[in-house]
Amino acid sequence: MSFWEIFAQQLFNGLLIGSFYGLVAIGYSMVYGIIKLLNFAHGDIYMFGAFTGMVALGLLSPAFGNAWLGIIAALLITMVFVGLFGVTIQRVAYRPMLKAPRLSILITALAVSMIIYNSMLLITQGQARPFRTGLTHESFFIGPLRLTETRIVLLVAALALMFLMHMFITRTMYGKAMRAIALDRDTCQLMGINVYKIIAITFFVGSSLAAAAGIMAGVYYGTIHFFMGFLIGLKAFTAAVIGGIGIIPGAMLGGLLLGLLEAFATQIPFVGTVWKDVFSFVFLILFLIFKPTGILGRVESERM
Amino acid sequence: MAEMKKSSHSPKKYPAVIDQIYNLFDNNVLRYFTFFIIISFLIILPQTSSRFTQEVMSNLFFYITVCLGLNIIVGFAGLLHLGYAAFIAVGAYTTGILSAVYGINFWATLPVSILAAIIAGLAIGAPTLRLRGDYLAIVTLGFGEIVRLTVRNIGITGGAIGLIGIERPVIFGYVLNQITHFYYMFFILAILAIFTSYRLHNSRMGRAWEYIREDEDAASAMGINVVSARLYAFIIGSAFGALAGSLYSAKMTAISPESFMFLHSVMFLLAVVLGGMGKIPGVILGAAIVTIFPEISRDIGQYRLIIFAFVLLLLMLYRPQGIWPDRQYISTKK
Amino acid sequence: MIKKQWIIMLVLVLFAFGIFGCGQDTTGPDDEGPGEEEGTILIGIMVPVTGAYSENGIDMENAVKLAVNEINAAGGILGHTVVTTTGDDECDPAKATAAASKLVSEEVVGVVGGYCSGATLPTLKIYGDAGIPLVVAAANATSLVEENPGWTFMINSTGDMQAENAIGWFEKQGVETIGLIDDGSAFATDLKMLTKQQWEAKGKIVLTDDTVTTGEQDFSALVTTIMSANPDGIYWTAYHAEGALIVRQLREAGYEGIIIVADGSSAPAFIELAGPYADGVFCTAPPFADLNPAAAEFVTNYKEMFNSDPGAYSGLTYDAMYLLADAIERAGSFDDTAIKDALAATDGFQGISGEVMFTEKNTLGRSNFVILVVEDGKWTFAE
Repeated sequence: MSFWEIFAQQLFNGLLIGSFYGLVAIGYSMVYGIIKLLNFAHGDIYMFGAFTGMVALGLLSPAFGNAWLGIIAALLITMVFVGLFGVTIQRVAYRPMLKAPRLSILITALAVSMIIYNSMLLITQGQARPFRTGLTHESFFIGPLRLTETRIVLLVAALALMFLMHMFITRTMYGKAMRAIALDRDTCQLMGINVYKIIAITFFVGSSLAAAAGIMAGVYYGTIHFFMGFLIGLKAFTAAVIGGIGIIPGAMLGGLLLGLLEAFATQIPFVGTVWKDVFSFVFLILFLIFKPTGILGRVESERM
Repeated sequence: MAEMKKSSHSPKKYPAVIDQIYNLFDNNVLRYFTFFIIISFLIILPQTSSRFTQEVMSNLFFYITVCLGLNIIVGFAGLLHLGYAAFIAVGAYTTGILSAVYGINFWATLPVSILAAIIAGLAIGAPTLRLRGDYLAIVTLGFGEIVRLTVRNIGITGGAIGLIGIERPVIFGYVLNQITHFYYMFFILAILAIFTSYRLHNSRMGRAWEYIREDEDAASAMGINVVSARLYAFIIGSAFGALAGSLYSAKMTAISPESFMFLHSVMFLLAVVLGGMGKIPGVILGAAIVTIFPEISRDIGQYRLIIFAFVLLLLMLYRPQGIWPDRQYISTKK
Repeated sequence: MIKKQWIIMLVLVLFAFGIFGCGQDTTGPDDEGPGEEEGTILIGIMVPVTGAYSENGIDMENAVKLAVNEINAAGGILGHTVVTTTGDDECDPAKATAAASKLVSEEVVGVVGGYCSGATLPTLKIYGDAGIPLVVAAANATSLVEENPGWTFMINSTGDMQAENAIGWFEKQGVETIGLIDDGSAFATDLKMLTKQQWEAKGKIVLTDDTVTTGEQDFSALVTTIMSANPDGIYWTAYHAEGALIVRQLREAGYEGIIIVADGSSAPAFIELAGPYADGVFCTAPPFADLNPAAAEFVTNYKEMFNSDPGAYSGLTYDAMYLLADAIERAGSFDDTAIKDALAATDGFQGISGEVMFTEKNTLGRSNFVILVVEDGKWTFAE
């Protein structure tokens, strides 16, 4: 492979994994923006989404002749179901804590994460599960790129979801309300915005996007397991911070950037696959030190 | 100690019996008597108990030390730390490398290991403690992963296979290699940690931490240097962890990256929060629950972490101050 | 007031003593025949039955229980009924020392188990000091051999042998350059390093040398680097969860060389996860219970008793238990040194996973590793 072939292939690899990071990062970013909570359970919701998707697909795919139709149906059902799951978590665990010290709500999030993670560990007996879709993975070339149908569809779908999300935030009343609450919750309440409802919607949207990413990962990789959420949760958080936490386009941008960074890092001598993760965490820490507001973040007062 | 006595006049929050027990400990004679009993009991314990009991107890002392160290950061200064295992790894690997690779005497490695933890603490704390508190959580999480992956990837630490052949400590020509020796070693370490924690808690710095934890802006306005006070907490806490890690490596003689995973950091945090952040006996209680509970309830082993997580969640929702909280905390909050 | 406090104090102290008293084991670590008067002997099982590796640990524990049931049905060991006790090491070195101490305190005659090399390592000395023979069924890192105080017997082939096996197969297939991938776990890294050393000692080239992170799913960047170097063969030295993903993504990207996976990936789950991409993938592993006619009975009984298929290391663990029983019979007593010597003198013990004899370092004298290949969605012998 020539330099440019490798470059193009890695660019595509980076974009695809980056768009997954981006989808998960949006959820992190939205929740942080609106209630200033680092939702540690978000990566586990991604994992939960993948397993729900597997069950849904198993039930639905015989009903549809076409593999893609079945996947789309399973995707929609899972997004709604996991979205509601996210809202339930929010209602039970986070809402009573909104006025509590920040440390307490962070620990609550950690507890929720542990509950989901360990429950799935028990349910799956720690075994990885195949995610059967019935799709074929014939690869073909476009120029120097070796692609499969799945990879193209998933990349397009991920980018489309991000675009929809962006429209939702900027063009609808709910999006406007979310942004307003992020700025000043108390004033919003005075202005007659149903703050709790908007927070619930935020969790719904964030969780369903994570679930979508989880299913897409299942379709693409063909294997899902209970610890798939931990690493991507960490990476998505990194992405959210790089892009500017609390800012939706920032999360997408950060995700894509991190994906590209990782893909190219494996090509760099002395970094390779061995140091790739260290590389991205060091990048995160450097970002926090030199530009804590992220790429798209504005300068704000540090103390809140 | 005087301050703790003063606080006994806080409004009653508990049924009379519990208050009785609390008051009991305000009586100095009684308190010292209890300490005396407990300590002498723990000193004679290895003479009459099995290897297993000693092993669990020395694990407990290790946990107490580590949790008290973490408590300085989380409980006293109110900073969420999610990578504490990394600082234990720093201590364990410093001692391990110096003794296994360079053949340096175990006791001589201890100051180096503390120094290494201080440097690591400064490197992580100094740039990030200026930022919002929850950024620290994620930086420490990232740091934890960096340390684990680094020791896994480089040669001098033995890589993924781990470091083997760490020298046993020698005192006056006597090699410490039995579980009973380590029992006493960790016992002394835990006593030291408890003593130091109390001294810190009642020091000028301890009061500054408490002030910052309760109201950062007011503390700052009163002339407390918030960043440096936090940095002190971070560094002192890290040093505790490193010291415990050094002893751990001497006891195990073999260490590997899998002893310092994220899960371990979470368990330490769990113990601190469970018992009561900032309250020294509470933290000890938390450490005891986290170490002894799994040993005596093997049958529910599979469900252990879920149960812990649920308890943690319920605790946060209904009793955020922990099982045995700081009394000042109760009187000021709600 | 003060009097009342004293009373409460006293109650508390008594209570505390009560708690500790209950937790205590009053028997000292002496060398009497453990519980011989009751006609039973206690065998320890040290495996991870909780935590992320519990699946394999439980499979191993089951295998021991099956073996013990059969032994008891056949009259026990030296006329004594065998009772087992499990120490859960959770694959964590600190927990493993506690588990080992628990088994030592319970005065087991011997211990069977050892899944994670990292967790097994610190326990060797504990068993050695207590004079308890340990038959390690799965863990096989080189460090275990180095740290062996003489009481440990490893019946899984060591990394050396597995590396030799893989290299032999690569050479047979005419492979000149290889790529190595591990997951950063002790066992996989050990195997990778050994393979690299042996391969380079033959004057051949290792083109790529990579480590992936457990829990990762996307290996496309890694696959692209490997494809650009294009080695003739690839050796994956770790477990099936990531192994299946890597094989799948390599094949999807058009890799056509030889792929070998190590014994950690030999579980049937590998084929299930990798789907059609598993076809033609080789594996260095001890003969699978399924493939061995002698083991057919074991597989049937296992399925009947636990209602699941035996795991990758169940067969070896089953052998380990029988080997220990055999050694005690040969020793003719429950004396620890006699059992150890009998174990060391083992020659030609026929297990379901092959013949067992020990080198002077207590490792397996002859490799029982074979090369398997996936054909029609099943592991079969490649030769």
